[in-house]
Amino acid sequence: MQHLRNALTKHVRLSCSARVLEFPAAGGLVHAPRRQLCASSAATSFEDLKTRVLDLVKKYDKIDSSKVTDTADFQKDLSLDSLDRVELVMAIEQEFSVEIPDDKADKLSCCADVVKYISEAQTMKKESS
Amino acid sequence: MSGAVAGYLARRAAQKERVRLLYRRTLKDTLNWAVHRHLFYQDASDLREKFEANKHVEDLDTIDRLIEEAEASYEKWQHPDPYIVPWAPGGSKFSRNPPPPPGIEIVYNYGKEDDLN
Repeated sequence: MQHLRNALTKHVRLSCSARVLEFPAAGGLVHAPRRQLCASSAATSFEDLKTRVLDLVKKYDKIDSSKVTDTADFQKDLSLDSLDRVELVMAIEQEFSVEIPDDKADKLSCCADVVKYISEAQTMKKESS
Repeated sequence: MSGAVAGYLARRAAQKERVRLLYRRTLKDTLNWAVHRHLFYQDASDLREKFEANKHVEDLDTIDRLIEEAEASYEKWQHPDPYIVPWAPGGSKFSRNPPPPPGIEIVYNYGKEDDLN
């Protein structure tokens, strides 16, 4: 029993000290890629954001995907009614896991607006967390 | 006469805004109630059908009554524990791990601060 306990405490102590030693050195290496993997909504470059928004809008089944551009107005050019726009904004909220307030959601009328809003929201999130 | 038209249009616009907000809230609430994604799609399409069913109602008072009924049923069926985006106020990650104040840095050699000198 004593043997077992000694072995165990030794092992625990070893592993603890090993972790303390490796942490500062490997911290940057180990944590950087993992952080990118786990957060699907991690702040990416502006271009990535734009392609993601455009892809999302193209996938919406009431939209003719060939008409989707940066500045195509959801209501006029893509012929969505107000309820369709609500659905689209909700899809965007879920894709990027952001909360868009009701009054802001009304003002998002084209893909460029959406990209701008999300990049602003993500920089705010970065600063506050 | 133009006053009446303007009043009609203003009332129509207010109703549109109310319906838009109502649809947004009920759609979010539908997602809260849906345990799985495939259940949500069916519920959302049912909800949309309910809204579409009264799309062509023209009488203002009838529209007001319909909106009021819908709002009452939304209030009644609201989810007690809705989903909140983790980073939003009220979410599980809200204000977690705030950044240290500027000018303060973290030194990763626990208990060995004396070695710095």
